[in-house]
Amino acid sequence: MSKDVLVIGGGIAGMQASLDLADMGIKVYLVEKLPSIGGKMAQLDKTFPTNDCAI
Amino acid sequence: MLDVGRHPNIELLAYSEVEGLKGTAGEFTITVRKKTRYVEEDKCTGCGACAEKCPTVVPDAFNEGLGERKAIYSYFAQGIPSTHTIDADHCRQLNGKKCGICAKTCQADAINFDKKDQVIELDVGAVIIAAGYDVFDPSQIPEYHYTEIPNVVTAIEFERLLSASGPTEGHLDRPSDRAVLKEIASLEKQAKKSQKTLARFEEKYNESSASFYDKFQGGQYEGDEDRQKWADKYAAHLAIVEPLESLQKKAEGFTVARRLAFIQCVGSRDFRFYPFCSGYCCMHSIKEAIIAHEHEPETASVIFGMDIRAVGKGFEEYKIRGGNDSNVSYVRGRVAEISAGPDDNPVVTFEDTRERKVKNQAFDLVVLATACAPIKGMAALAETLGVALDPYGFIKTSPLSPVDTETPGIFVCGCAESPMDVPESVAQASSAAERAAEVVFQPEMKEEKAVA
Repeated sequence: MSKDVLVIGGGIAGMQASLDLADMGIKVYLVEKLPSIGGKMAQLDKTFPTNDCAI
Repeated sequence: MLDVGRHPNIELLAYSEVEGLKGTAGEFTITVRKKTRYVEEDKCTGCGACAEKCPTVVPDAFNEGLGERKAIYSYFAQGIPSTHTIDADHCRQLNGKKCGICAKTCQADAINFDKKDQVIELDVGAVIIAAGYDVFDPSQIPEYHYTEIPNVVTAIEFERLLSASGPTEGHLDRPSDRAVLKEIASLEKQAKKSQKTLARFEEKYNESSASFYDKFQGGQYEGDEDRQKWADKYAAHLAIVEPLESLQKKAEGFTVARRLAFIQCVGSRDFRFYPFCSGYCCMHSIKEAIIAHEHEPETASVIFGMDIRAVGKGFEEYKIRGGNDSNVSYVRGRVAEISAGPDDNPVVTFEDTRERKVKNQAFDLVVLATACAPIKGMAALAETLGVALDPYGFIKTSPLSPVDTETPGIFVCGCAESPMDVPESVAQASSAAERAAEVVFQPEMKEEKAVA
């Protein structure tokens, strides 16, 4: 039995899932195919509907 | 992003891909390939000195090819990890040429051209797929001429043009204008070089090239080899300067793009491509129009769509705010064609269904709200993990278990499941995290999931 979790993809969904699990005390392996995490959201200037900065 | 990088419970395996999965829920063994960056991750400080000195310039994928990066690069300035990566397809050294400048520059001695991929195995209890989506390639739609007309861009390209950290530092410079400015810069460089050569002749014969050339053409120096060379150089110089001057004159009239068209449902709700609604694009276009207006108050945007789907908390209000405060108007109609117009202004042909009229309207820039498509490697990833896909190629789920794949212990969230916006992705991610936690905390209790 393993108590670790693998998350595939380091975009906004993968980062959020990883942080939630990690905050529960679970060890997370986050695999991202590109050189840095952030995904599409890192490319966005701001987000709707509040015009908050993306990252 | 920063929190992910420094959380003690998260081991970040960037530049890596999952290659295999064995076992069942609670006892999966995962094979992961850590692709080589040719840079030692524990030594690289991310200072960027290598990228500064690297002689190879490559289009920058993070900026959707609108900017440039070097063959050794950090994916984007604030990227985590900040470890630099050598692009093996373009690096001179890795392609058998003499270089290695990065290795000489790196003070941390982090460059290692012999570094190989590393394959590791991980034991995990549960898996979450958050593989995201790909932007639909609009060049598949012949009537929009995406690749042929320079001032037709995708929503994500427009996003990079709007970004202060993007290739135009947030100014809405049109791609056609940027191409002219690049051409001017290249011609100026050539002109400067040929000017230097001419100066040597001018000094030698104590005469301006122009007055010499007049005489030369009059047949005065026939048989003089040195002066023949001077004349050839001067003719070549004119061939650079004349187009340069005409381009410089053209560039005087350049302004930022102020008349913007946003075209909705590019690839979505289109039976030739994806019949589904991609969900976020209406709001994305409104946001881009509002931000463009914030950057340049004279901006006027028209959003062309069959209908504006502003479904979500605060979304309808945002749409109205765009119309009231940001010079955004909404035209109900599907755009039939985009054609090239004078001054590189794309012309949009559409039917205004409210007025029942077919119209043509020229814009400075046209933005295509492209569909949310499954990632290209999705079929291979699904096969590796043993999960089922839906007919479009997203991960298959059911309405009452929207984050459960058909394989126990493997969950999905975000656009890998279906098109969705940021708030929905975040909500689904927390939901998938909770489902995965159930598996690893109490596997023996989870034979059958209780449903409401």
